[in-house]
Amino acid sequence: MALTLPRWPGWKHLPRDTRDTLFLLGVITWTVAPHVSHLPLWCTLLTATVLLWRAYLAIGHAALPGRWVLVVVLAIAAGLTLWSFRSLFGKEPGVTMAVSLMALKTLELRARRDAFVVFFLGFFLVLTHFLYSQSLGVAVAMLVSVWGLLTALVLAHMPVGQPSLREAGTLAARTALLGAPIMALMFVLFPRIGPLWGVPQDGASTTGLSTRMTMGSMAEVALDDSIALRVRFDGVAPPAHAMYFRGPVLGQFDGNEWRPLPPSSIIPRRLPANLRPQGPSVAYEMTLEPLRLAMLPLLEATGSAPTVEGVQVSLQDDLQALTDRPVLERLRFRAVANTAFEHGPQQATPALRDYVDLPANFNPRSLAWAAELRRQPRYANADANTLASALMQHIRSAGFNYTLAPGAYLGPDTIDEFWIDRRTGFCEHFAAAFVVLMRALDIPARVVTGYQGADPLPVDGFYIVRQSSAHAWAEYWQEGVGWQRADPTAAVAPERIERSRNLLPAPGLVAGALGNINPELLARLRSTWETVNNRWNQWVLGYSRGQQFDLMRKLGIDSPRWEDLALLLVGALSVLASCGALWAWWDRHRVDPWVRQMDRVRAALRGAGVPCAAHDAPRTLAQRVRERFGTAAEPLAALLLTLEAQRYSEAARPRPLEALTRQVTAQTQQLALRPAR
Amino acid sequence: MNTTVLPDRRTAPVPPRTPLGLPAHWVQLRFRAWVSKREPPSDTRLLTQRNIYILPTRAGFMFAATLLVLLVASLNYQLNLGYVLTFLLAGSGAVSLHITHSTLRGLTLHVRPPAPVFAGDGALLECVLTSPDRARFGIGLSVLSSGGHQVSWSNVPARGQASTQVSFVPAQRGLHPLPALQCETRFPLGLFRAWTVWRPASSLLVYPRPEQPAAPLPMARAVPGGGAEQRQGSSGEVEGVRTYRRGDALKLVVWKKAAKALESGGELVSRDTSVAVHQQMQFDWQHCVGLNDEQRLSRLAAWVLAAQRAGVDYALLLPGSQLPVAGGDAHRRRCLEALALWR
Repeated sequence: MALTLPRWPGWKHLPRDTRDTLFLLGVITWTVAPHVSHLPLWCTLLTATVLLWRAYLAIGHAALPGRWVLVVVLAIAAGLTLWSFRSLFGKEPGVTMAVSLMALKTLELRARRDAFVVFFLGFFLVLTHFLYSQSLGVAVAMLVSVWGLLTALVLAHMPVGQPSLREAGTLAARTALLGAPIMALMFVLFPRIGPLWGVPQDGASTTGLSTRMTMGSMAEVALDDSIALRVRFDGVAPPAHAMYFRGPVLGQFDGNEWRPLPPSSIIPRRLPANLRPQGPSVAYEMTLEPLRLAMLPLLEATGSAPTVEGVQVSLQDDLQALTDRPVLERLRFRAVANTAFEHGPQQATPALRDYVDLPANFNPRSLAWAAELRRQPRYANADANTLASALMQHIRSAGFNYTLAPGAYLGPDTIDEFWIDRRTGFCEHFAAAFVVLMRALDIPARVVTGYQGADPLPVDGFYIVRQSSAHAWAEYWQEGVGWQRADPTAAVAPERIERSRNLLPAPGLVAGALGNINPELLARLRSTWETVNNRWNQWVLGYSRGQQFDLMRKLGIDSPRWEDLALLLVGALSVLASCGALWAWWDRHRVDPWVRQMDRVRAALRGAGVPCAAHDAPRTLAQRVRERFGTAAEPLAALLLTLEAQRYSEAARPRPLEALTRQVTAQTQQLALRPAR
Repeated sequence: MNTTVLPDRRTAPVPPRTPLGLPAHWVQLRFRAWVSKREPPSDTRLLTQRNIYILPTRAGFMFAATLLVLLVASLNYQLNLGYVLTFLLAGSGAVSLHITHSTLRGLTLHVRPPAPVFAGDGALLECVLTSPDRARFGIGLSVLSSGGHQVSWSNVPARGQASTQVSFVPAQRGLHPLPALQCETRFPLGLFRAWTVWRPASSLLVYPRPEQPAAPLPMARAVPGGGAEQRQGSSGEVEGVRTYRRGDALKLVVWKKAAKALESGGELVSRDTSVAVHQQMQFDWQHCVGLNDEQRLSRLAAWVLAAQRAGVDYALLLPGSQLPVAGGDAHRRRCLEALALWR
């Protein structure tokens, strides 16, 4: 095939079909482009090739390829997807297939049905972007996509002439804007019921807290910058080093993996929390992203379970706030915490024995190391606090390194490998080794996971805690006091705890230039942006069942259920639909204002004895008036001619002038009092 | 995309059936009968809520299915922006229902009385669409018949008129009421189709289909007092002129003289052929032996046309009606009418 580029006639001179096709291709490119970073390279190349080829065919008015070509390419795309992901289902392969289908479908735009498939596939592709990000930027980009798709749809239904893109775009925007109230109403009132069926793991975020912990499992989380929760304090915020958000408490270790203690332990799990708050309490409001855990990471230590719409929260004796189901939606709630506290039994109980269990035949060198420590006279009968400080001292002085990339710990004796040999790792290595050694010293101890710290500067009053703030620390039991927190990571990398996350991303080119010229403006812009972004997060992304029920309470419904929401929504939609019907009815009975004007003029003239028929033009009427009343009627005739000019001249008015109509009728009534000639 | 392929309603070999199992054709017939009972025929029709019907199209159902998929995805992944997208599209769809309906509402349809046609030829109906207010886009007009469905699309400017033509092929001669017309639109999103069915009051005169190829003309009859030789129209000799009379053939107009006369405020002038007619013909029903009635009418129609072309005067004799010898367009029309309406 000789590939000569067809002559480009210029956008204004393109035939209608070509222009519409190129426009649609542009919209598709815009819609697909943000996916490029998630797509395998072959899919990007295939899509780009197909779209360019389609544009080439459109400009050259060439025939579309046969159906079997498409079938073959589609089969190849499916094969490559299978090869890339080992599956055709799930988020990534699904998006890849959708993008390939969309590109190939553009080669098959024969009938209207094909065009509709492209539009609806386009809307679906828009949705898939939200699986990756729901930020304000993505929302704006996708709004443009939807507008483009609607414009193409409108264009397809203007079969005559060469309607301009601007005209079609305006019509599409008008349709969408008129639909916006319905959108707002449904968004606010549509009941946020939970997922209809089990969500595949690849829902929103693949990383996050888990009720399992193995060596190295948190490294991935530490690199995830997405937001885990936001918290706003009434009054002064506690310092960053005191912000521990308590996640799963892991008390059982099998040599490889840490798990929560099974609920079948001899004691009932719901003991009173035995919490002894110290110091001032602080009230806070938390917005929690869907973590897919059956618990809430509350600020330590929250003394009573918060009330959350749609979720039963129960506070356990280990201070975990368990929920009755995995939390798959965004939650917002209020609670009160004391960052200084003691908790747990002050006297030894049989239940504590669960926390000294170690798997047999694992980590012999660490156990020997602990036995060695015990043999030292000053630790022979030392209490838990003394032993804990001894371990901390060892971590500080024995050349331990904090790094997020310590390499894999493979052997069965991972604690030995870390504590004795390599001495590099991050929070979970330190916490796990600390707990194992405390247990080896016969002190009850456990691993606690959760989040630690927050972004240093609050945005719009909210402190942001990211997935990268996920942390693991240790707790040991001290007789007479209870459970004590020990964060061995702080011993080796205090800055991790003190300031948590303090790195700002490098400023971009524009921001850098702006910063040089006017740093104050840059700071103001940044804070405005952060405020807008936070409002977006709070009011659009954070809008959930809780806020819906708050709204219902404000509307006077005391104990709202989701059925009430549904009823309210149906009611409101019915009212809207009736308004639409009413408008159509009113539109039917509406008389054209020009016709109404002529009716009034004619009625007045008939009153003055001038015969006039429905088809008589104002000019004819003027003549008739002149005939009947002579020169006295000249002003009225002039008025009638003005009226005609207003309606029919080049610069015709959209509506008749009320004053003129009144003048005409008044003049006519005056004439009626005069005797006819 | 290709906008010219928009109207594609296939004629399926097997009649589609409605969900209740009734043949769709039967439902359609019942619907049309009901519609025609509601509105008396008229040449001008104002479209109001009373006579506009609206239903979702197949694309509309596809759109609803897409919305359902989007909603389920938003529910399952708890995507608030997914809800926003779904509800924005749902809102736009609901608004498009009203826009589609109001595209037809308030429109005035008027059909111009059509010129007579020959059976088998396409008849052009000219319809004028008038919008009293806003501009209307994508309005399709078609003849409602059981066969193919040819839609002619037009836009109506704001407070203006658009003229559009639809054609149909009348099958038989005679005076037929105009077929029902359908005015439809899918503007703006194609999710709904609003339409109205309208029966104009005018009727269409259909002449018999002229015989093809035409049989030779019957023998001319010499008129007493006239010469036997045939007068040639191209001979150029002018026996005399008179003022133009309605019904004079255009070839009889003396254009050179007429131009001068018109310049000086006069009227058209024609050749005075009253003395020059030497030939007359008689087209008699009885002459067409061996043909059935319709074929006879076809042959007579063909003769009338041929005689008119040749500039020969003729008479038409039909059982029950007789048209005396005459010439000119008016005579031709009278003859063809008589043929069209015979019995």
